[in-house]
Amino acid sequence: MIVVQLLINGIIAGSIYALVAVGFSLIYATNRFVHFAHGAFVTVSAYLIYTFFTLWGLNFYFSALLTIIVAGFLGWLVYKLVYMPLKKRKASNAVLLVASVGILILLENLMLLIFGADVKSVGFIQIRKGIEVLGGIITPLQIVIVVLVIILLLILWFFMKKSRLGKTMRAVADNPNLANIIGINAKRVCYLSFIIGTALAGIAGILVALEQNIEPIMGTGLMIKGFTGAIIGGVTSVPGSILGSYLLGLVENFGIWFLPSGYKDAIAFVLLFLFLLFKPTGILGLRGKYKEQKL
Amino acid sequence: MIEAYLIHLLIIIGIYIILSTSLNLAIGYTGLLNLGHVAFFGIGAYVSTLLSINTDLPFLVVFILAGLFTSIFGYLLMLATNKLRGDYLALATLGFNFVIYSLFLNWTSLTRGPLGIPGIPKPSIFGFVFQSNLSYLIFVAVIAFLVVGFLHLLLKSSYGKLLEAVRDNELACKVLGKNTFKMKWQAMAVSAFFAGIAGSLYAHYITFIDPSSFSLYEIILILTIVLVGGLATLKGSIAATVIILLIPEVLRFFALPSSILGPARQIIYALLLILILMYRPRGLFGKVDLG
Repeated sequence: MIVVQLLINGIIAGSIYALVAVGFSLIYATNRFVHFAHGAFVTVSAYLIYTFFTLWGLNFYFSALLTIIVAGFLGWLVYKLVYMPLKKRKASNAVLLVASVGILILLENLMLLIFGADVKSVGFIQIRKGIEVLGGIITPLQIVIVVLVIILLLILWFFMKKSRLGKTMRAVADNPNLANIIGINAKRVCYLSFIIGTALAGIAGILVALEQNIEPIMGTGLMIKGFTGAIIGGVTSVPGSILGSYLLGLVENFGIWFLPSGYKDAIAFVLLFLFLLFKPTGILGLRGKYKEQKL
Repeated sequence: MIEAYLIHLLIIIGIYIILSTSLNLAIGYTGLLNLGHVAFFGIGAYVSTLLSINTDLPFLVVFILAGLFTSIFGYLLMLATNKLRGDYLALATLGFNFVIYSLFLNWTSLTRGPLGIPGIPKPSIFGFVFQSNLSYLIFVAVIAFLVVGFLHLLLKSSYGKLLEAVRDNELACKVLGKNTFKMKWQAMAVSAFFAGIAGSLYAHYITFIDPSSFSLYEIILILTIVLVGGLATLKGSIAATVIILLIPEVLRFFALPSSILGPARQIIYALLLILILMYRPRGLFGKVDLG
């Protein structure tokens, strides 16, 4: 059953995209600039887990924890060193976007320089024969990934809805000036959401490293997907970006019914293009309230 | 030996001068943050290659057709993105670049995909074949000179001032009864035309093209050149092209293996781009801010 297989592939791809997208979306919602280098942090994290677990032989769960912490720290560092000075200078969003593309290229090439161009694999879980579900095939690892992502997304949703910090973040996302007036330290919230967003990229990196081979240039592709998912769903809305990511995963997997699989990236970008032109607020994005909340 | 190396460098510099000044027309003068310039470069290279391999057209015709075909894409891109500005436009044009890149990579019946197209003939004009690199350098220099001269005259004219007005305040231009969309697509089409002929020059010089020559990394290089030189200055773009292309050449003297040389170059470019944005946002001779 090819339909079931494509559906399964779409959901697996969508889960990874969703994890990339929520981090990106969290950063965008509070900071209001396109952090295109987000994808590079996924790559860096994949190499971190490879270093900690495969090269140094540390315990896997400890390695994973360390990866997430280091990723969050790197995010903080980049924010402190590059974005914060630019924001202080009141640089335009276009400048921040170009700078973030620069960071993406910088990090990708650092990985290339340190680890070389050949693919690496973490090899924590042996690739086992897939299980048949309604005629489609899914490996146990993929089931773990999908379940883990869904649990994570639920925790994140709960965190954003119920916790104090989550509420503060949504307040800053909704109206940074008003948030400042009622005594919320918007700058601190921006920092924190950047760190949390990057830590989420760290988790995405670990899962990607388990599922596929690690390459220095994989971040750009993942960024395009996560970013597109976020835009489709509405970038300022975390649930929206989750919805958009799964939608994208399904569309591109069903799309290769008609097109060669090499066009996957192109499908994503055509979708992105269409949404930017005709519905920049996305499916669940805030509408009309504040103009700058588009995108 | 050193002579051949210098001639090669100068040819590349000539091609990139065309690319960077034409991109500055879009970004600096007209205010269109176009991250799809490399796609134009690639379209020009592929069109020129395919025409000269599959048809008997003389080189000059192929050369012009490559430019014209690319400028159609410039028009279409502007038509699609007319409503977008700033970072939106940047993202949409970046998207355009990825779509064109995946076409190069996947339309194998036409482009041979990742295998690339070898054996592109050296150009010949009126029976004279540019076989030696020195003659090719002269050809590139003449074209680059013509392009920069044309852009200089265009931007000095009242039309050029209008383009800058569109950049500074599009709404005001509209209020004054100017058709800003027309100005924007014309600027984009001219910019694309020159990127297209630069692609043609590149393809016939290297005599081999594959999609990797037109990837995201190339955008960073050209964007770095334009931003280091400064927006809305042709002089800056030319100076920056020379500087930026020469910097990584220093690495060659350390006899590094190519697996290190490639990433090291990209790291230098990316660092330069970030540093220039942070500490000298107007570059060498820039007149306006990016935004």
